[in-house]
Amino acid sequence: MLQQLPPPAISCKGVWQVYGANPEQGLKQALSDAGGSADEAARLLRQRGLVPAVQDVTFDVLEGEVFVIMGLSGSGKSTLIRTISRLVQGTAGSILISGEDILTASKQRLIELRRNKLGMVFQHFGLFPHMTVCENVGFPLKMQGADKTSRRKRALEVLELVGLSGREDAYPRELSGGQRQRVGIARALAVNPDLWFLDEPYSALDPLIRRQLQDEFLRIQAGLQKTSVFITHDITEALKLADRIAIMRDGKIVQIGTPDEIIVNPVDDYVREFSRDVPKGRYSHVSSMMSLPDRLPNMPDDPKIGAEMTVDDALASCMALYQPVPVWGADGKMAGIVHPSQLASALQSERPA
Amino acid sequence: MKRPTPAVWAALTAVLVGAACITLSPYFHWVTSWPAGATLPVTSWIGTGLTAAFELLKPLARTISTLLSYPMMFANTVLVNSPYSLTIGILTALGWYLGGIRLTLLVVSGLGFVLFSGYWIASMNTLALVFVSVPFALLVGFAVGLLANEFKSINRVVETTLDVMQTVPTFAYLTPLLLLFGFGPVVGLIASIIYAAPPMARNVMLGLQRVEPEIKEAAIMNGATRVQQLFLIEVPSAVRQIMVGVNQTIMAALSMVIIAAVIGGFNDIGWEVLLTMRKAAFGQSLVAGLVIVIFAILADRMSGALAQSEVRYSWRIALAVVLVSVALATVERSLLPGPDSYSAFKGLAAAADSYLNAFTAANGLVLDAVKNGAMFFVLLPLKIGLGQAVLPFTWGFMWTKWMSAAVYAVFGVVAVVMALRGSAVLGLSLLIVSGVMIVGIANLPWPFMLVSLGALGWVAGGPKLAAFAVTMIMAILLMGLWEPALLSLYLCTAAVSVCVVLGGLIGLVSSVSPATWSVVRPVCDFFQTIPLFVFLIPVLMFFQIGEFSAFLAICAYAIVPMVRYTYHGLTSTPEELLEAAVASGASDWQVMREVRIPYSLPTILLGLNQTVLYAFSMLVIAALIGTTDLGQQIYLALGQGDVGLGVAAGAAMAILALVADRLVQAFAMKQRQALGL
Repeated sequence: MLQQLPPPAISCKGVWQVYGANPEQGLKQALSDAGGSADEAARLLRQRGLVPAVQDVTFDVLEGEVFVIMGLSGSGKSTLIRTISRLVQGTAGSILISGEDILTASKQRLIELRRNKLGMVFQHFGLFPHMTVCENVGFPLKMQGADKTSRRKRALEVLELVGLSGREDAYPRELSGGQRQRVGIARALAVNPDLWFLDEPYSALDPLIRRQLQDEFLRIQAGLQKTSVFITHDITEALKLADRIAIMRDGKIVQIGTPDEIIVNPVDDYVREFSRDVPKGRYSHVSSMMSLPDRLPNMPDDPKIGAEMTVDDALASCMALYQPVPVWGADGKMAGIVHPSQLASALQSERPA
Repeated sequence: MKRPTPAVWAALTAVLVGAACITLSPYFHWVTSWPAGATLPVTSWIGTGLTAAFELLKPLARTISTLLSYPMMFANTVLVNSPYSLTIGILTALGWYLGGIRLTLLVVSGLGFVLFSGYWIASMNTLALVFVSVPFALLVGFAVGLLANEFKSINRVVETTLDVMQTVPTFAYLTPLLLLFGFGPVVGLIASIIYAAPPMARNVMLGLQRVEPEIKEAAIMNGATRVQQLFLIEVPSAVRQIMVGVNQTIMAALSMVIIAAVIGGFNDIGWEVLLTMRKAAFGQSLVAGLVIVIFAILADRMSGALAQSEVRYSWRIALAVVLVSVALATVERSLLPGPDSYSAFKGLAAAADSYLNAFTAANGLVLDAVKNGAMFFVLLPLKIGLGQAVLPFTWGFMWTKWMSAAVYAVFGVVAVVMALRGSAVLGLSLLIVSGVMIVGIANLPWPFMLVSLGALGWVAGGPKLAAFAVTMIMAILLMGLWEPALLSLYLCTAAVSVCVVLGGLIGLVSSVSPATWSVVRPVCDFFQTIPLFVFLIPVLMFFQIGEFSAFLAICAYAIVPMVRYTYHGLTSTPEELLEAAVASGASDWQVMREVRIPYSLPTILLGLNQTVLYAFSMLVIAALIGTTDLGQQIYLALGQGDVGLGVAAGAAMAILALVADRLVQAFAMKQRQALGL
């Protein structure tokens, strides 16, 4: 299935982040000793007392895409997002943001980029305790040099977007956790950035508030269509929000794929373990299981299954059938066929293969 | 059998070296006293070196001195010549604005006392120094803290310098400053700036360091330049901690200004205390001391309100207060008496004096008995050992070699038994203690001290700390200050032991009885705000000049951190741990012994550390009332302008404090790590 891809918003190639004494030198040495093998180099680095927090990471994030990086704590996902936003200086590799290498950008250029193109939301909110909500949200505009009235005007706009109108003159300490993170989100959106980094933005919140904010994220994202890099350790959050997911383990990316691919075709036990307790029918779609054979079998029933339906929904309408059924695309044409038993067995991918 | 731990080896080594020293000392004199020939003339080197350096620096120093004298004279003229009703009015308005009615009442009654005591002018002279030194100290401290935060390469250097400055005794600053800047209030001013800047620097560093990393990152991601990050985000986020620094700096400046009064030549309140103390007019010196206490409390509460509370009270009322005081001030000259003519407490002071005389005359026997009892049966044995202190005249019998042998034998057996039962370290430590009790701290052989401190350092923090302790102590030996250093050590050990036992007990009781704590807490607060100097007055009143008075003053000052840290350690055990213990069926006492005390041990050790440092800093002040230790050397040097002796003795004192500090800190650290904190 070939289609014209938009140019990547972020392009990471062979990114390494090594901690310890003299990491650049150490990495170079380890890579040459390992004959170019990243895994071997990482092993050597560890042996020599260095910490390879991010190892040879390569991926692209497309324009307008929600790209979720998922992994357990210590897997290097937070380090990776900090390397991409250059809060920490990467050890090796290249990171292009709209074609511009951010690892070699000058200090001045970085400040410009951050003032105009990048936004970031933090796990523990990172709100400035001595500023009101409005001043917090207006801070990036202040850095751009906007005057006070226009800052306030824009801040109120964004606060309305995140549903926090009326609390603009409160201080962060007077807000609940969910409200604080809304301020954090509003602040990241204030300058209308092209690119949005979210570092476990909902991990510190209650499950209920978390779900509410996830829905809001989807709503905002549907309206603004920003390129987002979203970090989480919660698989259901990743499946719910992501266009594509990258799964990290011990500093490496082990799989990149759509939620369906992650659930239906996990590359290894580690990834499978993640999706084990996930209600798969709710996150995988018919499109990931259908096929389009040259010769169509006999299909007596047509329960009107759509390619974009979740497996749960599709099964609900064809559970009782024993014959393959047609799958209809959004354009009204037949997109493929699927056997109901295929859908049912996808729900139990825990069987030994 | 289990393999001996490093602690066992260390204790064993110390015992063996101690035993060797005791056996050899009758034959080799050098074991107990460092040979004079091996002493380097460090004191005179420092003296000559510094004097030469000072000759070069003098023009610069004199310029600084002149420059500083302008703001000082200005502040002095303003404060001394302003009508007192205006000064009181403005400070009252400030008190109202910062702390409402409670602080207002405190300011009015406090300043009223000062005015009626007749010490108004002297107080204003002191206050002028504080007013000038505080802004400088804040500025210097802020700049140093900021730079240390900004440039990680100098961070360590700054930390170490601050550590050292905290341990160098206050008087030791004064001698070189005197030589450099000449007599006069400017020396007090500069000393106070030097002394008061470190707490500000420390708190600025701490505050900036503690700003949440995400807040810093948010500032970066919002496109702030480094300067913007620092001044728009990091400093304002750290403002609480920085204000704590402001509070500490003000208190330190006040304290040092008063201590600097010993150089004299300036009619300030510290000098009044010293003068009346020397004349043994204790009633009057108590009044002057109270004036100092009042200023300390006012400064503390006002800057504390500034730091801790964001509530501010109506500025209109404050303005009204100022206006009323202006009105009063205009008629003050014609209607009210001048500030000199008040002496409301003269009669009271005299009465207090005569009452005190009557009291000491009536209870002289009791007081003497207390003093002599403590001296002959506790302090003296600790100082020169049972071997010399037990005399027929005091104890009723003569200590003999056989008695020593018997004690050693008993403790030796105890040590062996305990070693067999698994607590070898404790047994060997007891053996060492018995040895120290018989020989006396002031007579401890230097090889034993070097080895045992080195061993202690090894156990606490490894070879580096051991090397540090040994080189530092060697330095004291080489400087030829070994004997006064041991005397300092003796007085300090005596006071700290009392503080540990008594303070630990008070902290323990407070932690289980809120009623006790509600009494203990304000007393601790009060003791911590009083400048060191004032502690001398009450002990002198009852026990005259001498080592026992010095000992009491040190105890009174140094016990506070022990109480506080013990209390905080014991009360900060996580609720979950306590619940787990109770759920396992532990009784109150078992919870205390099995959970609360072990958990709080690192905190209590830090309290011990503070107590040791407090004791050392009071030791120098106590030299004013008759000790024979390093403090006395520093004080003598000040009197004679002997910069070499002053600096060397100051350094020796700082070394003792630093070594003690590092050892205790290392043990606390080890304990924390063992608990996984």
